[in-house]
Amino acid sequence: MEDLVRYGLKVAENLGAEYVEGRFQSDVHETLVLKNGVPEVSSYVKLRGISIRVLYRGSMGFASTNFMDRDSVKEAAEKAFRLAKAVERNLNPKIELSEEKFESRRLEVKPKVDFADIDLESKFKTLIEIDRSSMSGAEEAGGKLPARILTLNCSVTEKTVINSDGADVHSTTPKIALNAFLTAYHPQKGTAQRYLSLGETAGWESMEKWKPHELLRSEASILAKIVLEAREPPSGKLDVVLGPEVVGIACHESCGHPSEADRILGREAAQAGETYLKPDSIGMKVGSREVTVVDDPTIPSSFGFYLYDDEGVRARKRVLVKEGVINEFLHNRETARRFGVSSNASSRANSYDREPIVRMANTYLEPGDYSLEELLEDVKDGVYIKKFMEWNIDDRRFNQRYVGLESYRIEDGELKELVKNPALEVTTVGLWSAVDAVGKDLEFQAAYCGKGDPMQGIPVWTGGPSIRLRGIVLR
Amino acid sequence: MELREIPKFIVDKGVEKGATDVAAAVVNCESRMIRFSNSKVSISKSYSKAYVSIYLMMKNRRAAISISDLNEKSLIEAVERAIKTAKITPPADVYAPLPSGPFRYDETLLAPSSVSLDPSLLTGYVDEAIEGALEQGVKKVAGSLTATNAEFFLATSSNVSASQTSSALEVSVRAFTSDVASGHSVSVARNEKDFNPRLAGREAAEIAKAALNPAPGEPGTYRALLGPLVFADLVNQVGVLSSAFYVDAGQSFLVDKLGHEVASQKFTLIDDPTIPNSPGSRAFDDEGLPTRRNVIVEKGVLKTYLHNTTTAKKFGVESTSNAGYIVPTPWNLIVEPGNRPYETLLSEIDHGIYVTNDWYLRYQNYRSGDFSTIPRDGMFLVEKGEIARSIRELRISDNMIRVFSNIIDLSRERKWIKWWEVEVPTYTPYALIEDLKFTKSTI
Repeated sequence: MEDLVRYGLKVAENLGAEYVEGRFQSDVHETLVLKNGVPEVSSYVKLRGISIRVLYRGSMGFASTNFMDRDSVKEAAEKAFRLAKAVERNLNPKIELSEEKFESRRLEVKPKVDFADIDLESKFKTLIEIDRSSMSGAEEAGGKLPARILTLNCSVTEKTVINSDGADVHSTTPKIALNAFLTAYHPQKGTAQRYLSLGETAGWESMEKWKPHELLRSEASILAKIVLEAREPPSGKLDVVLGPEVVGIACHESCGHPSEADRILGREAAQAGETYLKPDSIGMKVGSREVTVVDDPTIPSSFGFYLYDDEGVRARKRVLVKEGVINEFLHNRETARRFGVSSNASSRANSYDREPIVRMANTYLEPGDYSLEELLEDVKDGVYIKKFMEWNIDDRRFNQRYVGLESYRIEDGELKELVKNPALEVTTVGLWSAVDAVGKDLEFQAAYCGKGDPMQGIPVWTGGPSIRLRGIVLR
Repeated sequence: MELREIPKFIVDKGVEKGATDVAAAVVNCESRMIRFSNSKVSISKSYSKAYVSIYLMMKNRRAAISISDLNEKSLIEAVERAIKTAKITPPADVYAPLPSGPFRYDETLLAPSSVSLDPSLLTGYVDEAIEGALEQGVKKVAGSLTATNAEFFLATSSNVSASQTSSALEVSVRAFTSDVASGHSVSVARNEKDFNPRLAGREAAEIAKAALNPAPGEPGTYRALLGPLVFADLVNQVGVLSSAFYVDAGQSFLVDKLGHEVASQKFTLIDDPTIPNSPGSRAFDDEGLPTRRNVIVEKGVLKTYLHNTTTAKKFGVESTSNAGYIVPTPWNLIVEPGNRPYETLLSEIDHGIYVTNDWYLRYQNYRSGDFSTIPRDGMFLVEKGEIARSIRELRISDNMIRVFSNIIDLSRERKWIKWWEVEVPTYTPYALIEDLKFTKSTI
């Protein structure tokens, strides 16, 4: 396979390309779907191919093929070159890439328990047991869980990235993801729904570690209680404690996305949008001193794990917001050159037929010293939003909304009754400036982040500890 | 082996190895995309892709496989894997054999369809879209142009052997007059004749110009005019969530609503892939059934869910020819128009809001339909029937059934919409909505 990639590089170089990058990528997915306790389908998807990206006189062309022969790879390299040449006149400024140090590496994440060692029957049996456990959880709380979808995905990605600047990186990574969508129902009181996503770069051992039977039992029990017991949330100005799940999505949406340098330069303007940040926003205060948000692809077993990005640049931890101040953007080689910095290895593609673009990996708020009890004890009148369901943010990444699912009233430092759908609707600077204390209970959730055109869903973790916000008006 | 021969090869192998039902489909797709930003091309891309999808049943034990490696050895391995997988997959609650062919398909829908993928021609379209906007005096333009030709070959163990082609030309253009003032438009067509990138650029620019100097909007409940881009996003929710799969999973606000009012009498939604040369037209579904015109909502009443053969059996009805082996899906959504121009609808707003586009729609609860989405691009305060000023930073936070029930009227103009936020091609008018709820950030 590597020979084919090198052949594609050679073809494009001979045509006159200044830079060529070839990537072989194979993605194998086994997915099991259990709907309302009944197996819907088992699916197996294996997609593989080669892409060639070329730079010619400052113009970028990209072509891919899934026909793994020399003629097809040659054709792809020629197409990429022709496409770059066709629009070369139409570029200003011309695209240039940052200088980087490249290496030749072979990397493999070895699962402790290989997916192939667990047969399909056992995987379905596990899902069915988890499903039953969730129903029991709801029943124990006096409720019903009439609609459930459980999805288990086991995948292995193999990548080879070779470029004309010297990168030669081969990696193999397994990933496992368990997703659940649950509906609790009461004929008079209505419904509540929960979407839950677990994911790691690992083998079957994650399923054992997650203890999904206990987790889903607990989640379903709380969901049923929300339907049966939750009351209207209080109104007016109060204090709010956010749980790690809410903090994680907020970090991703309002700190990670706005820091993507391709957005800052307007490259995503017609699709995923732009950002409130400008090229000169480094040093801008956006939150309190308690807020430090990082993005780190190198966390072992994380869902967004990688050690080299899809341009062959070595990955490292990125500090996006440091003590409330914008510290660093996410870069690929193109944006790094424009900003006069080095790439911080943020370039990723989700498939052989997608161009690598600037992406997050594992974005989270650095933990502080507070226990949850300590965060709560100083709140006289407030709401603890532990989990959420609805969320969105505008395409400048400034106005966002998180609507609580599992949420509680706080009175005199103590958790009281469940409250229904408290809506936190705030600006990015408003949210992070209101943080006065940060917990030590760092947790991560798995997600697929959407960006690009065509759309590329890419695995990430979002995370954080609990935080306390002062003086918030809930909707 | 030729691509067109692969489906029958797989079906024969599957049956030989003991499958009760096999469907195999090969998709062969050639596509180009040119992305542009800051009024210049940022990258040109080409995709050549062929893959096979296999759906195999051993009575009510099912397996689905997709592979892109199409040599004979890999195909045989894929069939063997599907057989092995189906054998050890626990039984589903329903077994519905694949529909028995052969079927007669509408010849007009089988007519070959293609667009030119010539890079210089496509670059010319991009130039037109950008110029169309810049001529109006905007600061910058961004977007993407996509040209696609695809072939689809299908065979099933129930005497189906069929092929069809599709093509698409799509441009999505966003024009900016400032960092916070923009407009968006699209041109979506199956062929060059109906494709107008310059007009899309001009429309985006006109909205962007009107959107200059936006003032903060005030939250509240307003009579609102929704432009085709934003209304198409909402209509897609009804179309996609009318799939029996989502209804069965409780992931739809249309659960238990068959025969009930889910919208105002003004609203009729049809999934009609039988319209020749429309963006989503096709002759047959993934099970080989001839496609048909399905009225999903008629004068506000939910008439049907969308089905494949399996979901149809589970619900005790006939397939609506919307397979999707697992998830039935709409092909080509059509909203029946109203009688009056959209300017007249606008003139009926005494104090309200005109929204031209939205993005990021998320549900608090699919079953109840509680959701929010964010207006983007031009949004305008309307006073006494006229646009008073550009506004920003509001969010639509409402309920799907409530929004559709509050449709006062629809415009007679319609536009084909398909872009990043709207996956199913949708032919939609403007919609005038009563009491639409808007919220905004509190700090």
